[in-house]
Amino acid sequence: MPHGSPDTTPALHVSNLSFRWQADLPLLRFPDIHIAAGEHLFIHGPSGTGKSTFLSLLAGMLTPLTGTIHMLGKDIHQARSGERDRFRADHIGVIFQQFNLVPYLTAEANVTLPCKLSATRREATDPDPENEARRLLTALAIPEDHWQRKVTSLSIGQQQRVAAARALIGSPELILADEPTSALDADNRDRFLDLLLTLAEERGTSVLFVSHDRSLAPHFHHQIELGGPAE
Amino acid sequence: MKLKLALFLARCSLWHRRRVLALVCLTLTLSVTLLLGIQYLRTEVKQSFTNTISDTDLIIGARSGQINQLLYTVFHIGNATNNIRWSTFQQLEEDPRISWLIPISLGDSYRGYRVVATDKRMLDHFRYGQGSPLELARGRWFDKVFDVVLGAGVARGLGHSPGDRIVLSHGGGKTSFSNHEQTPFTVIGILSPTGTPVDQAVYISLDGMEAMHVGWSSGVAIPGRTLTPEKADGLSFTPDAITAAFAGLDQKILTFRVQREINQSTLEPLSAILPGVALSELWRLMGQFERALLGITGFVVITSLIGLIAVLLTLQAQRAHEIAVLRAIGASPSLIAVLYVIECVALAVVACMFAVILGALAIATLSPWMLASYGLHIPLRPLNSFEWALLASIPATAFAVALIPAFSAWRQSRAMGLGDTGEK
Repeated sequence: MPHGSPDTTPALHVSNLSFRWQADLPLLRFPDIHIAAGEHLFIHGPSGTGKSTFLSLLAGMLTPLTGTIHMLGKDIHQARSGERDRFRADHIGVIFQQFNLVPYLTAEANVTLPCKLSATRREATDPDPENEARRLLTALAIPEDHWQRKVTSLSIGQQQRVAAARALIGSPELILADEPTSALDADNRDRFLDLLLTLAEERGTSVLFVSHDRSLAPHFHHQIELGGPAE
Repeated sequence: MKLKLALFLARCSLWHRRRVLALVCLTLTLSVTLLLGIQYLRTEVKQSFTNTISDTDLIIGARSGQINQLLYTVFHIGNATNNIRWSTFQQLEEDPRISWLIPISLGDSYRGYRVVATDKRMLDHFRYGQGSPLELARGRWFDKVFDVVLGAGVARGLGHSPGDRIVLSHGGGKTSFSNHEQTPFTVIGILSPTGTPVDQAVYISLDGMEAMHVGWSSGVAIPGRTLTPEKADGLSFTPDAITAAFAGLDQKILTFRVQREINQSTLEPLSAILPGVALSELWRLMGQFERALLGITGFVVITSLIGLIAVLLTLQAQRAHEIAVLRAIGASPSLIAVLYVIECVALAVVACMFAVILGALAIATLSPWMLASYGLHIPLRPLNSFEWALLASIPATAFAVALIPAFSAWRQSRAMGLGDTGEK
């Protein structure tokens, strides 16, 4: 393990996880994973392998059929839904493929949104959510005159970078990224990945990145393969 | 509960969707204005109605129904069934229990306004509203045979001022073919506005009424037999009959006994009515109608609220991404539900505020016209407790109906996965 010693709490430890949407649908089985604090994991999964379901389970939005999810020492699989919502607000940043932002808020308001939901995230900002948001937006190369604009006027690349800023604000322990680069062209994709990982590194945030694009894997400390439906 | 966040999001979201929501809000505003306006008018018209006469204990006329008698004596609507003899009136004057009497004689008109022949007792004893007496805004009460005092509405409507000479018409109606041309009257005084039918009447003396009908015994003027003002001056005209009389008693407790005695009078068939009782009976008749109107308006408001919910449910489909984002950030399903409820209630509150402003503007603008055209005095006043309750029921109902989209959003967002828009 290049980062973190074995005695520190791992960012994420998943074992024996499975899920079924409905009784007549196939059982989905997921690989065991272990991410030490501050490490980045690339999960390669072609579409249809249950990537989104896997992330939903990790984020605590779905309850697994079997298996355990330990996140920062907490048993997510056993927590009640309200508790999981709060845990997600406090400790997890999320980036989707697209439509990451609340359309009626400005870029800056979108970035500071997690700090409005979570006192933990708000207290972790330096010195306050607005300043950290501006710093992140600057670091992610969003022009200053775009900060107070409605996010719908931004380009897709800019929108994804604003989403990254929102995931990073308040330095959560883990970022779940679901194909965040698939809507971007090659230049934008590499730039996005660089910025995200560099900024995450600075904050000691682990990134769990799911993509069908295997060429992105070298950017990460570890990679695993997500299989198709089991049984 | 992150109420502050929900309020912040609701404000931004409503503003973002303002174009679509403005229309729904407008519909709701109009229907609430209608509801509130009808309730307001109902109260005011009733007030205006009960204010038409006060302190009069009995209205005595020829035998007829009490509503008819009230209508022709107080509201100047319709006609008397018969007259009462002057001798009967004089007998009533002798009655020690009756402290005052006002004789009135109807039948003629002036350009659509009723002519009321009476005497000084009208000015001394007639009361309206909360016991207000009649007052002269200009000039004085009549004392000559061909003097006339105009109600405030008549003077304003026709632009008369003291000194003008006017010709009264025989019978009612706006255009009359038989005018009392030989006996013009001189405007001597103008009454202050009362907001009652008094404003729409023309007051002359009983003598004047008699004098202008000299030579009209066949219903039309017979040339040479009518009087001229010069000939009439100084003469005294005792009427044979009057139409009705307002009476006030010394002891209110005797009202029913006096009423019964008058009704059983052997002099001639008479009816004595209690104005308060007749007014409330008349109001009950009209009350059915206005209650039905209020009920219909209530349904209009409910229809607009259903429209509002329909729009909110339609918008819900467009909001799937936004909800997915909020959920991913850690917003609970109840926060999403509260967001919907706040938005719906906020729309209702905004609609109510606009409705109050719109209603106040409408009343302020239409009030003078209502007084001039219908003799209805509709003043602008603060809302009463029932109207506040009615107004408050709108956001309360909005809250109740908002639970529909809120619950569906809550259920949907509970079942959604990460970044899931529920569109699978």
